[in-house]
Amino acid sequence: MMNMAQARPIAPNSPSQKQKLPAPRRGLHLSPHMVDVAVQVAVVAALAGIWEFGARFGALNPFLLPPLSVVLGRIWEDLIAGTVPVDLGLTLYRALLGFAIGAVIGIPAGILMARSNVVRWFLDPLVSIGFPMPKIAFLPIFILWFDIYDTSKIIMVAFSCFFPIVAATYAGCSSLDKWPIWSARSFGAGERELLWEVYLPMAMPQILTGLQVALPVGMITTIVTEMLMGGRGVGGAMIMAGRFADSVGVFAGIVQIIILGFVVVKSVEMIRRRILIWHPESRR
Amino acid sequence: MSVTHLSASPRSRAHTASGISVRGVSHTYGARTAGGMLALDGIDLEIADGEFHCLLGPSGCGKSTLLYLIGGFIPVQAGVIATSAGPVTSPGPDRSIVFQNFALFPWKTVKDNVLYGLKKAGFNAAEREQRARHYIDMVHLTGFENAYPSQLSGGMQQRAAIARTLAVDPGILLMDEPFGALDAQTRRVMQEELRAIWRDSRKTVVFVTHDVQEAVFLADRISIMSARPGRIQHVIDVDLPKDRGEEILENREFIRLSEQIWRLVREQAVAATRGAH
Repeated sequence: MMNMAQARPIAPNSPSQKQKLPAPRRGLHLSPHMVDVAVQVAVVAALAGIWEFGARFGALNPFLLPPLSVVLGRIWEDLIAGTVPVDLGLTLYRALLGFAIGAVIGIPAGILMARSNVVRWFLDPLVSIGFPMPKIAFLPIFILWFDIYDTSKIIMVAFSCFFPIVAATYAGCSSLDKWPIWSARSFGAGERELLWEVYLPMAMPQILTGLQVALPVGMITTIVTEMLMGGRGVGGAMIMAGRFADSVGVFAGIVQIIILGFVVVKSVEMIRRRILIWHPESRR
Repeated sequence: MSVTHLSASPRSRAHTASGISVRGVSHTYGARTAGGMLALDGIDLEIADGEFHCLLGPSGCGKSTLLYLIGGFIPVQAGVIATSAGPVTSPGPDRSIVFQNFALFPWKTVKDNVLYGLKKAGFNAAEREQRARHYIDMVHLTGFENAYPSQLSGGMQQRAAIARTLAVDPGILLMDEPFGALDAQTRRVMQEELRAIWRDSRKTVVFVTHDVQEAVFLADRISIMSARPGRIQHVIDVDLPKDRGEEILENREFIRLSEQIWRLVREQAVAATRGAH
């Protein structure tokens, strides 16, 4: 078969191949995937239950850990009052815009690194140094250079998203299988056509992996910059709540972040499946 | 298997057949380092316009390397390779190739794989559609047009790759063990099909194989290559009727040639095994 095993990126935890053996015909029959989901939902529900009843029946100090129902009630109130949509919207806007800027710069940079020695000589050391560095340390500089509002936050997010994206794209584009390239060339494809018609689709699994790593990084960076700089946004709201010893408000922020992160990450997984419909990983 | 062909199909860009001239070609892998490996040593080969030529030899004798050099995929280090279009310096649509490992585009369906080459060759939309359908049908993949390569067996992928290359109707057809992944039955049918296409369309074919019977069945001339470093040891004319079908297998000349060539190849294979130790 084709040597595509190398191109297999991180896989979502899903049951193994097409082992859809007809389930025994007694009781209710669920597919392995449904069982998987059901168990995972049950685990989350159990933890939520422990939180709720632990806090409610005095096992835990309700100030240090307010019951889940109270936290959800607060989110509901703020939702109606209109602060949650504004904060969530702002956080999402900063995270996604920063992420998009990181991708728009990082993907071409990674491709160029793989295709041009000059670009690689220039960028490789910068990426090697920058990738493991805690990017948030640059925040004071970005505040100095830009502002204390959106611009510096978004640039901070773009900066931290850039590194995983450029590294994954470079890795993906520099280890391409030569055979599809050779066949495209034998059909008469020029260098520019090769880039769009062969290199990009072939490197797509790794590029998407880079994007999938960068997106949570972007969310983390957004929340942290909001916490450090204050103002609106989920991170800012949490810091405010913390300063006012409003533990319910802090936990409301945490629950919002959990939900936001889950939705965003799952959406990207679905997009990945759509794009990589040709890839064996999509048929697990 | 449909043995009908697109007869005198309208062409937007005709690739005329051409001979291939290989003179004094040597090739060393890792030539820039000290421990370079000499793969081809002084190859001289004249393949006539419209000839079906088989390169036969043990594995590792450099026959694929020679094919890739003719294809322009790897640069010629020593010697000259030329077609009627001039010296070969890069791959081009006048020399289409079927790779041993298919080299399909995994992100395209079977049909889109076939359409890709047709589009590059400049066929118009209606021709592309018609030719894609015809060649997919010829390799028995009708019903799998919308399957991705990873959903197909190795043999099916190989047939898709053959359809993709034949569809563009190249003047020179390079084939690197193209039937290797097929079962014996399909293999025989594809061999007959290829002979028929070649006979009807006057292509120059260079066909790499290590299967003696396949070479004798298909070729006008066979070059037998030596074990590494690859040299052309013998060039044998195959004096068999142009129309070859199942019955040729019982032809006295076919059997005699096969046995003669088998002995020559065996010598090289034994030498190759000894060289490996």
